[in-house]
Amino acid sequence: MSSKKTDLLQGTLDLLVLKMLAPAPLHGYGIAQKILLTSKQVLDVQQGSLYPALHRLERKGFVSSEWRESENGRMAKVYSLTKTGRKHLAEELEDWARYASAINWVLEA
Amino acid sequence: MRWPWTKAETDLDREVRHHLDALADSYQKQGMSRAEAMRHARIDFGGVERFKDECRDESVWSWLANSLQDVRFGWRMMRKTPAITLAAVLSLALGIGATTAILSLADALLWKTIGAPAPEQLVEVLWESKARADGLMRGSSGSMFKDGAVRVADFFSNDGYKAMRARAAMLQGQVAAHNGSTVVSTSFAGRILVARVRPVSGNFFNLLQLQPFEGRLISDSDDTRGSSPVVVVTYRYWRQNLGADPAAIGKSMRINNTSYTIAGVLPPKFLGLVPGEETDLYTPIMQSPAFLDPESFVNKRFDDPMAWLMQVVARRPANLTEDQFRSQLDTAFATSWPAQPKNAESTPHVRISEASRGLGQMRRRFGDPVWMLLGLVSLVLLVACANIANLLLARAAQREKEVALRVSLGCSGGRLVRQFFTESVMLAAMGGALSIGVAWVLGLLMTNLVPQQFDGMTLNFEPNLRSLAGTAVVSLLTAVLFGLYPAWRTARVDSSTALKEGAGAGGTVSKARWVPARLLVLAQVALGVLLVTSAIVFTSHLNELANRDTGFERGHSILFDVRPGEIGYKGDRLRQFYFDLEERLGRIPGVENVGLARTRPMRGGGYWDGVRKPGQTKELQTAVHHVNPAFFEALGVPIAAGRQLTPQEARTNAKVMVISEDLLKDLETTSPLGMQLEMSGASYTVVGVARQARYSGMHESPSVVYLPFDYERQSVTVVVRTSTPPIGALGAIRAAVKEMDRDLPLVDIFTMEQQISRTLQRERLFAWLCGSFGVLALVLCVVGLYGLMSHTTARRTPEIGIRIALGASRGDVLQQVLLEGMKLAIVGLVLGVPLAVYGTHLAETQKLLPEGPLPYAKLAAAIAILTISAIAAVLGPAIRASSVDPMRALRRG
Repeated sequence: MSSKKTDLLQGTLDLLVLKMLAPAPLHGYGIAQKILLTSKQVLDVQQGSLYPALHRLERKGFVSSEWRESENGRMAKVYSLTKTGRKHLAEELEDWARYASAINWVLEA
Repeated sequence: MRWPWTKAETDLDREVRHHLDALADSYQKQGMSRAEAMRHARIDFGGVERFKDECRDESVWSWLANSLQDVRFGWRMMRKTPAITLAAVLSLALGIGATTAILSLADALLWKTIGAPAPEQLVEVLWESKARADGLMRGSSGSMFKDGAVRVADFFSNDGYKAMRARAAMLQGQVAAHNGSTVVSTSFAGRILVARVRPVSGNFFNLLQLQPFEGRLISDSDDTRGSSPVVVVTYRYWRQNLGADPAAIGKSMRINNTSYTIAGVLPPKFLGLVPGEETDLYTPIMQSPAFLDPESFVNKRFDDPMAWLMQVVARRPANLTEDQFRSQLDTAFATSWPAQPKNAESTPHVRISEASRGLGQMRRRFGDPVWMLLGLVSLVLLVACANIANLLLARAAQREKEVALRVSLGCSGGRLVRQFFTESVMLAAMGGALSIGVAWVLGLLMTNLVPQQFDGMTLNFEPNLRSLAGTAVVSLLTAVLFGLYPAWRTARVDSSTALKEGAGAGGTVSKARWVPARLLVLAQVALGVLLVTSAIVFTSHLNELANRDTGFERGHSILFDVRPGEIGYKGDRLRQFYFDLEERLGRIPGVENVGLARTRPMRGGGYWDGVRKPGQTKELQTAVHHVNPAFFEALGVPIAAGRQLTPQEARTNAKVMVISEDLLKDLETTSPLGMQLEMSGASYTVVGVARQARYSGMHESPSVVYLPFDYERQSVTVVVRTSTPPIGALGAIRAAVKEMDRDLPLVDIFTMEQQISRTLQRERLFAWLCGSFGVLALVLCVVGLYGLMSHTTARRTPEIGIRIALGASRGDVLQQVLLEGMKLAIVGLVLGVPLAVYGTHLAETQKLLPEGPLPYAKLAAAIAILTISAIAAVLGPAIRASSVDPMRALRRG
């Protein structure tokens, strides 16, 4: 594991979760692993905090869930992106890009 | 059973376990033991319970689940203290139930609109003047009342009505007329019934903008002389008496002796023009039973500008203010006078009274009393609420330890308040539900105790939807106000002291903690003084009135009306009918005398006139009664001097009279017999003096002159004196009348005692309601005081234990607790005295009580009752405190 870790920016966890779910449905453990891998183990996400985020997104209708058998043979709750979730993700990504480039401009100016 | 939220809970469990298992699996693969792997998995995951809790907050079920949890917990806590719960629920139910019953009455009488569209535009047209409108008016029919220095009346001449109607039409407004309602005999499909009819002008229903439920309503073409008579029935009458049959429209109904065509049925929502009055039928004014009687006042003088006999309502044009409309009508009114008023003082002016809730007569008569009842009942409710607050405070105190534990385990303040709030809402809901039953029973009781009909008016106590809604609001408010304070207090509890206090040996309770509870009990006792005093004052007032000497023999007589003139008897046939009636009823075994009278005794009102000695101008106002000779014995009025009327005098309408003793006094003469008196232009010879009697009601005893009965009157009140209980003779009386004419109903059959009690309806209503409020307040005070004392002493058990262990005698403890409770009660009693005095004063100014000296004896009685009850309430906790076993008390601490 890398020694230098970065705390997650407030409010970005939902965006990360949605992005992880975009290619294919995943269960909570799968999402945690994927974030760890894709962020090259830089982002420090406490794994338990995924669940309140998932439940929040489900209540808002951005993700849906069902119980499925997982790789290890256990039953797992698998989340997938809904139509509105996909739309929301696109909007959020756009927002994020604008935001990030704005921050970059300011910092590099 | 699986609730949606229990499923959510297991799902959450499984989901989290899956994650932990998967993590642990990967650590195990790296060579850790299962236990070690699980430990790492938990570290990576973070606070398991915390995240679970955050998930629960995201659930749609969380709110409901939490509430259900609160309710279940609340229910458990309530069952742990059943006495407190029961006391609180009963207090609430009684307080709110009584309020609902009175609210229903007030709603029916004061607030309900009459059930016509746009009621806010409806006004009652009256006139007012400072002095008598002499020269403009000779003879009137309607009602008049005094508003301060001005007299206000509701009658207009036909010309006045027509002038105002024409003026209003020019302004896009409307004016319509009606006459006072009367009771008539009706016959439909062989059934004879008595009904109340109100004559109205042709445009009356048009003004009210009512649509017929069936058939049609009255129009202007019906309201003319010589048109064929039509009648419109109310929805209720149609349901009850015409079998709700649409085919009844167009059929004929006999009213008195005239055949009317049933034109239509009024809509169900129309409640009538006068709140509380149950009018059954409406006829055009110029086809009304009174108008069709050629001898009646309204028929003879209908077009006489000096006869003011029309009551007027109006619909105000939307573009005029009430005052603009009033002055327009006033101008029109002035053009209709037959002469100019003598001066400004005696000039009548139109006055307008808002009528969206019907005409004001009943409100003027019952409005203030009902407001006063509302005031009293809300005091009862206040006492009940104080109880709830006290009981909740006591329970909160009991639960301090539990709450402290919960707070130290991490329960948030908000959640705690919510828990307590849920419990008080539960209490309120239970109390509220039970209060519906209380209101219903109280209403039933009241309608049975108070004779239903009161000059055609019904007092409606039935809980209606509006007052039930009011009740719900009151219960909720009570819950919020009185439930939140203990919750807020408890939530602020310093958990460490509370825990220590509960566990420590001291167990003393700081006095400050009980201050609000003490204040509540003080207020309760003070209000109790007021309520119990008014209970005593009003019931003894009723008692005094009911037992006043009437001046005649009250027992063994029965009264009823017959109306032969209304079914076609006329002239000699009518005279013969009355002669036969006297004779036949007199032959019935057990019947001693058969009296006939024009005015029913003990009914109020009647016929008044002025008498004067020849050559004098001073007139003495006196009640005039037309009676047959046997009447004096039938009623039981002794003749003090001279003789009663003879049959010969009665049958020939001789100009003779019997006067009452008090009139004799007013006439200032010692030898009345043979003296001449003038009345309405005729001269009468005084032949006898009758003992003074309260003829018209229990309240006043006016002087009376008795004149010979006019045997050609349409209707009569029969007074039958019997030697046996009068109800026993009723069967034979009915049979005898039926034998004479099978179509003639006996109307308003009452024994004299019943008749008397009817005149006291207002007083009875007040006495019963105030009496029950007083009892209620007393019970609530006792519960409150008992609750407070038993809780303070229970909390002090360890302290008392120490005292006893240190040598205090049981007598000392008993005395101390008693004194403490009584101190509280006595301060409350002292505070209550001025309240009670003020209340009595208020009742006197509202004319509910005769003015008199302050009722000190009754106040003292109330205080005595409350003191004894207070001692009884405190004695229980005091005895319990004095029998504390010191060893057990100390160990328990």
